[in-house]
Amino acid sequence: MSYVTAHQLTRHFDLSDPWIVRQITGCQKQILTAVDQVSFSIKKGETYALVGESGSGKSTIAQMVSGLLRPSMGSVHIDGHDFHDGGLDAMSLRRMRQRVQMVFQSPYASLNPRWKVGDIILEPIKSFHLLDDTQAQQKRVAELLDQVGLSARDVNKYPHEFSGGQRQRISIARALASQPEMIICDEPTSALDVSVQAQVLNLLKELQREFLLTYLFISHDLAVISTMANTIGVLKNGQLVEEEAASKLLTNPKHDYTKMLLSSAPDIGSIKI
Amino acid sequence: MRRFLQSDFFYDFSNTPVAVVSFVVFMVIILAAVFANFIAPNNPFDPASLNLMNGFTPPMQANEFTGEVFLMGTDDQGRDLFSTILYGLRISLFVGIMAVMLAMVMGVTLGLIAGYLGGWLDTLIMRFADIQMTFPSILVAMLIYGVAKGVLPPDLRYEMSIAVLIVSIGLSEWVPFARTVRGSTLVEREKEYITAAKMIGLSKRQIMLLHVLPNVLSPVLVIATITFALAIIAEATLSFLGVGVPTTKPSLGTLIRIGQDFLFSGEWWILLFPALTLLALALSINLFGDWLRDTLNPKLK
Amino acid sequence: MSKTREMTAPLLEISHLSVMLKKRRDRLKAVDDLSFKVYPGEILGLVGESGAGKSMTGSAILGLIDPPLYISSGEIIFDGNRIDQNASSIRGSKISMIFQDPLVSLNPLRKIGDQLVEAIRTHINMSKAEAFDRAKTLLAEVGIDPRRINAYPHTFSGGMRQRVVIALALAPEPSLIIADEPTTALDVSVQAQILDLLKRLCRERGTSIILITHDMGVIAETTDRVAVLYAGRLAEIGETASVLNSPRHPYTKGLVAATPRIDADSYKKKLFQIPGAMPDLEQIPQGCAFHPRCDFANAQCKIQQPPLFEDRSACWLLKDGSEIS
Repeated sequence: MSYVTAHQLTRHFDLSDPWIVRQITGCQKQILTAVDQVSFSIKKGETYALVGESGSGKSTIAQMVSGLLRPSMGSVHIDGHDFHDGGLDAMSLRRMRQRVQMVFQSPYASLNPRWKVGDIILEPIKSFHLLDDTQAQQKRVAELLDQVGLSARDVNKYPHEFSGGQRQRISIARALASQPEMIICDEPTSALDVSVQAQVLNLLKELQREFLLTYLFISHDLAVISTMANTIGVLKNGQLVEEEAASKLLTNPKHDYTKMLLSSAPDIGSIKI
Repeated sequence: MRRFLQSDFFYDFSNTPVAVVSFVVFMVIILAAVFANFIAPNNPFDPASLNLMNGFTPPMQANEFTGEVFLMGTDDQGRDLFSTILYGLRISLFVGIMAVMLAMVMGVTLGLIAGYLGGWLDTLIMRFADIQMTFPSILVAMLIYGVAKGVLPPDLRYEMSIAVLIVSIGLSEWVPFARTVRGSTLVEREKEYITAAKMIGLSKRQIMLLHVLPNVLSPVLVIATITFALAIIAEATLSFLGVGVPTTKPSLGTLIRIGQDFLFSGEWWILLFPALTLLALALSINLFGDWLRDTLNPKLK
Repeated sequence: MSKTREMTAPLLEISHLSVMLKKRRDRLKAVDDLSFKVYPGEILGLVGESGAGKSMTGSAILGLIDPPLYISSGEIIFDGNRIDQNASSIRGSKISMIFQDPLVSLNPLRKIGDQLVEAIRTHINMSKAEAFDRAKTLLAEVGIDPRRINAYPHTFSGGMRQRVVIALALAPEPSLIIADEPTTALDVSVQAQILDLLKRLCRERGTSIILITHDMGVIAETTDRVAVLYAGRLAEIGETASVLNSPRHPYTKGLVAATPRIDADSYKKKLFQIPGAMPDLEQIPQGCAFHPRCDFANAQCKIQQPPLFEDRSACWLLKDGSEIS
């Protein structure tokens, strides 16, 4: 039984000029199809990776799966519930939101610079009313910081006092604070240095095992994806051109585009002696 | 406090003579206004203490009838100019501060709404701002002042004149706040921490107040200082034109107007000292504001 | 190749270069006593994490060090001549630069042909018509249709723009090109093409290239030799294959092991990780800058900064010729 099912996901963007300008210049409406009938499913506790170059629509898919963007067509089911069903009452929507959280690309823009780390991590706990007792909340924040490898003493610091890797850990702690079942990782390490990237990727793996998390992992970097994914979907211009178990796709790619991506990816393992 | 003294901000401040001097001048003027009733030799608002015989006494010279000596001389009614300036400063500063507060609250609120919510609300607010910007702000202030005076019942006009002044100056200066806040909001709302806030189901109002607002406030501080100087000058201008505070409670502008009447008959000091005070006040605020802008946002240089 | 290299004179020799950062009350060492050579016709990689001082080294060679940065010691010898910070003539004509963002080097309001002709005629005495022909040849060489010579920069895609920038860099016939993260902003498929182009230019023209990057994969696929920088200091330098396959410095070792590989079953394993992060300039530890993160650190590492042993690695563990394991 799959935990997430995306069915025929499609998203159009209207890039046209305003109506009045179109009447004057005689231009037609311009519709961009960012995502075109993409279907995939993810099993509970597994990692599904979407790889693609810029403009392939991978971030748009992330936004639709996270519930922030309505698909033009198609549906996203999480644990059997339709995320974009207009009939959801506020309570169910809240419950859906709580199940799916996100870790972002930029360690700088993803944390509010005016908030203390403790407050950043506490916010989801308060918003979802997970704990109401102040002492229990404090204990939980300390526990979360510990889980991502930071110290409970860091609660009173501001984000700018941390390095890029540590900020990404704070971002992960915030995502965990909602007690989600799924985390969407949108290029979580592409702004980090190699040695720090390894720490963050390992942390994500440990957390997945510990909490049976389901990951939708988005990246342009095949080497990073190869260390994380069970299944890989290759996106090109909004379409899913190939989908396969990671071990098969990396050794025996079928589609030409996948072959091209694999041969272009700079790989440290390629060095000849 | 120790952290503040060691901060880059303070280091920069103490190494910029212009900033230090303008800040000191500004603080001296503020303190002089706040403690006017202790510093001033006379109370110029108390008619009983006035002696018409003292009128037109030049600075630092004994009056030919009473033999009294005044630091900056006296005006036509025998009011000690030094005391009058100190008390006038209070009115000028009060009007300035309140007008800036009003402009700031209004501008920040409208800018935040326009920037975050966008759509027709944004168009409406910003087009209105554009239209208002095509009029000089002093003209807008005079217009609002005139309308308010006309609307208010006659017996309230006198008591409400300072409030009307504050409202008219405040309403004429909100646009720069709104524009800046809208611009920063457009940048902030695309950042990922806003997306994170949406992911945990915060409402638009919560996101605007808790997340966007704290991050768009630092340029507001800079605009507030510069607007403060503008508001003081606007108050002086309005009072100079005779539509501001009543003559019985003169502000700096009123004093300059009175002084102007006597300039060509040789009583130069009545104009000079209030004018110099206004100059020192506006200049120190502007120079400090400039430094603040350069320090807080090096890109604007 | 390494044998012949020892005999040829280096094209560029940097010795004991230090760059300081003046920050309010402090003086911080951004580049610390850096020495290395670049030989004719080779691609030298400068690799390191952000803040390691790799871009600053490139800027120092080009004379682009401006306050609050300044060069506190060291010399740069290019083609046998010592160049000081004012020798802009050598820098413009003999050393070219390629930046990460192609739009930094291109004027959006002028046709690429005009920009190329200007770059050619500034350094080479040539008539306009000759320069125009040469501009076409250059475009063809970097893989752009010469008929597009009258196009404006915005009509090109990101990868094509970077090709134009490379043509621009080649215009004065330089003997050294410094490429600072030339492919970081590009998609992988385009990145591979640009790196191939750089390799080909190096091979065909004999131009030396200093390739500054944070990407170990790019280093592995492109460079002949590599210098690994850590906290403004040289950690290790040598033949790329040798450095990546048998690193001698614990930092290089960690960096190589931490780099993800494209591998069928790597998702089952954890990546090797170096604890901690590179220190800020304010907090570079005494002794070897890497010792707080190093599993092999001993007492000496904490006190004394290691010199470069065997022209290879700045690590005390190599003092007696021993190997790390």
